[in-house]
Amino acid sequence: MRKQNRFGGRFVIGLVFLFLYLPIFLLIVFSFNAGDSSAVWQGFSLKWYASLFENRLVMESLATTLLVSLLATAIATVAGTFAAIGIYSLTKKWRDPILVVNDVPMMNADIVTGVSLCLFFVAFFNGWHGFAEWFNSVQHAITLPEQLHLGLVTLILAHVCFNIPYVILNVAPKLRQMDKNLVDAAQDLGCTWMQAFFKVILPEIKPGIVSGALIAFTMSVDDFVISYFTAGSSTQTLAMAIYGMTKKRVTPVVNAVSTLMFLAVLVVLVINNIREMRQEKMAEKRASFEPVKPNPFIESIREKLATPQGRVFRRVTAAVLCVAFVATVGLLTAFTTSVPVVNVCSWGEYIDESLIDQFEEEYGVRVNYQTAESNEAMYSLLKSGGADYDVIVPSDYMISQLIEEGMLEELDYGQIPNYSQIDDRFKDLPCDPENRYTVPYTWGTVGIIYNAAVVDEEIDSWSVLFDDTYAGQVLLINNSRDAIGVALKYLGYSMNTTDPDEINEAFELIADANARGVYQGKVMDEIFQTMEGGNAAIAFYYAGDYLSMVENQADGVDLRFVIPKEGSNWFVDAMCVLKDAPHYENAMKWINFIASKECNLANMDYIWYASPNAEALEEYPAYYEELYGEELDEETYEIMAAPEDVLERCEMYVCLPQEARTLYNDLWIKLGI
Amino acid sequence: MKNKRSLFAIPYVVWMALFVVIPIVIMLVYSLTTAASDAGEGLHLTFENFTGMFDYVTVFGRSFWLAIIATVVCLLIGYPVSYLMAKEGPGFQRVAMALIMLPMWINFLLRTYAWMSILENNGLLNQLFQKIGLISLYNHITGSDVEYFQMIRTPGAVVLGMVYNYLPFMILPIYSVLCKMDNSLIEAAQDLGAGAGEVFRRVTLPLSLPGVLSGVTMVFVPSVSTFAISRLLGGGTSMMLGDLIENQFLGGAYNPHLGAAISMVMMVIVLICMLVMNHFGEGEEQAVML
Repeated sequence: MRKQNRFGGRFVIGLVFLFLYLPIFLLIVFSFNAGDSSAVWQGFSLKWYASLFENRLVMESLATTLLVSLLATAIATVAGTFAAIGIYSLTKKWRDPILVVNDVPMMNADIVTGVSLCLFFVAFFNGWHGFAEWFNSVQHAITLPEQLHLGLVTLILAHVCFNIPYVILNVAPKLRQMDKNLVDAAQDLGCTWMQAFFKVILPEIKPGIVSGALIAFTMSVDDFVISYFTAGSSTQTLAMAIYGMTKKRVTPVVNAVSTLMFLAVLVVLVINNIREMRQEKMAEKRASFEPVKPNPFIESIREKLATPQGRVFRRVTAAVLCVAFVATVGLLTAFTTSVPVVNVCSWGEYIDESLIDQFEEEYGVRVNYQTAESNEAMYSLLKSGGADYDVIVPSDYMISQLIEEGMLEELDYGQIPNYSQIDDRFKDLPCDPENRYTVPYTWGTVGIIYNAAVVDEEIDSWSVLFDDTYAGQVLLINNSRDAIGVALKYLGYSMNTTDPDEINEAFELIADANARGVYQGKVMDEIFQTMEGGNAAIAFYYAGDYLSMVENQADGVDLRFVIPKEGSNWFVDAMCVLKDAPHYENAMKWINFIASKECNLANMDYIWYASPNAEALEEYPAYYEELYGEELDEETYEIMAAPEDVLERCEMYVCLPQEARTLYNDLWIKLGI
Repeated sequence: MKNKRSLFAIPYVVWMALFVVIPIVIMLVYSLTTAASDAGEGLHLTFENFTGMFDYVTVFGRSFWLAIIATVVCLLIGYPVSYLMAKEGPGFQRVAMALIMLPMWINFLLRTYAWMSILENNGLLNQLFQKIGLISLYNHITGSDVEYFQMIRTPGAVVLGMVYNYLPFMILPIYSVLCKMDNSLIEAAQDLGAGAGEVFRRVTLPLSLPGVLSGVTMVFVPSVSTFAISRLLGGGTSMMLGDLIENQFLGGAYNPHLGAAISMVMMVIVLICMLVMNHFGEGEEQAVML
């Protein structure tokens, strides 16, 4: 009877584990995929593991993640445990409000916590700047650094900040469960408070501490938004790197990293468990009637620590640990500031990473390469003062917005001789009509992507997005500007119209189709796996990304790309320098380097987006043939780099005035409601 | 002696004042001002951001409703699992606990992409249903002609995503309370003639309530403010508060003032929910509220 119960219980637990591990299993399988897709299997390969160790961005961000998560968890666990003990011994009148405030970081949306912490740190730095200036001017014995930056320290502080509440929430129930008289009894029997803590409280609340620490660590590893706003311009965690990739595609390299992490933890777990089981058995054998002795080594340390000399030792150790921590952080900052650097913020998977190493070798300048999720995410971070990048790579409409708000610095084209190689088509752009701020990085078009295995006709109009023929099979882009822009184009208006009536009309077209169930959903980068797997028939997205989808499509899926006859959007992403960039000279070197023909060819091959460098664009088919030993399909090349007659139909976005932007946003939210 | 212990609370109170209260005050100021004050036109306090919020009532309603469902499902799964785990041997418990957290150390986006490929129209589950004939059976019974079950991009998928993500947060606190529970109390109840059901209802459950309250808090609170789950698994069809707020910060219009205001309102409502729940918990014997 008992045994049967236990079996039933294990069955239930097993089911829950199946639920928890099914996606993990899939994810591990796809780390061995030969293709780029995380949904379509293309054969077994170890290439992601091979490229993993050369991938500096991923490896560095992994190291940062582990450092930050472990430190923050350790600090939060100790601090949270003591705080919980302290709070719990307060009277109810005091305890309750404190616990409410404790819950606040959990209740707040992550992004609000992130932005508010960022604003707080920046305000503090400004205050510090004033103080340090004054302090340095009145005395000369100590020089305080005048400029503080967001970085590892603020990142760890932010993580501790959102971790502590979880520790407290886990420890508090154990404290409640504990018999309060136990501590008093221990102390009556002559224990010091510390002894009472280690011998009585700690064993009682240990499960709570452990689960609190586990949750804290988990939150730390997984956090993206708060890190993004507090990490500054030279620190990046793995989660930030992964979200940064979503502007294009998340590479299976991160699947490979995750698999290795997963296996490492699993191995540690198994070893630990075997060891403990062996110890338990030995203890059982030795004295089955005696209670299991605590580890004598730890016990002896504990006893030594309780003596007066031990107290000195304890304090010295604590001091040494503190100094070591501060020194590590200090050294890290000193190290990163003493080498000449350039801070670059771009999109994930938007550069052939070997170019970064090449630049560093050639110029002796370290590149801190960060990735943002979108133009808007980057803008938001810049507005909060959370980053001091040198070079950014925004898209056209964002460039004009940044110029309008005075956030960009003019470039010194004298230091960028390679600018002359940029094709004239990409000069005098509407976003930078006088060529003062930009060096184009890539360009491309937006078009309809459809699965010819499902769609029988040749599509040539945006109308398929709005009529019922393919209801439930259409994916809408989850971005108000692009979605409404396409509808405007279909109606024959300009994509840059500021006329509220025209915008409303375009929106009604989408809302009406939405109400009729034409759209399966709104997607961004999820479009890759959805279209590759043949889960939807029609979508619209960027030409370069279409080429990457075709490479990875499943059997029986036949993706096509077309720029509709009504015309579409074409875009340019360009390198710009932010106002007051701390490393202006290095930024010029970087921009010049990237604008070269060689870099453009490498990038074009890596990211499938067309290059603005005239020679690189022209020579790419030859370059491709030399590299892969086969001819580049002309159709592919024309999709990548749309010919002149197609571009004539297309329109480039300019920055809309604030009222229009608000209207777009409000309409978009209305669609979601 | 007691006073000495409460001193431990002081550093944390200072910490909270710095890193919780001040940022909240900053956001409160944001929520009471508009972009005009950013432009240096002085600080104009206004309730504009709050009065416009009635447009979003459905989003508030949906967020809380889905979060409540997710919390209840988590509780229904999490409590029995914690209970069963606590009955196992210590070796099993150690491993099980680590195994419950392990999936969460893998990035959220990757796990969600994996869920997407399970739930898609041509995804693993639909293929499985096809193979075992569930879909043709369904067509046979209802007389319909579907090729797949629409699972992804539905509110159900959003709830699934929440349950998947936050279930460990329900299991851990309940488990840590259950496994340290005094077994003699249960034996005493049995000796006094209580049946298994009664023991559970009158001894185990009330004693484990603090853990349940912690678990419910840790599931419900992040579920309400989640974003990305609704975007990825819900396909943007069921916008949640988290998305709404995110949209104000990371959308084209960039209006952190409105975002802050929505967040403030959300926080107050969550706070009220928690107080009501804790009040309800307090009524139970032995369970001291949070």
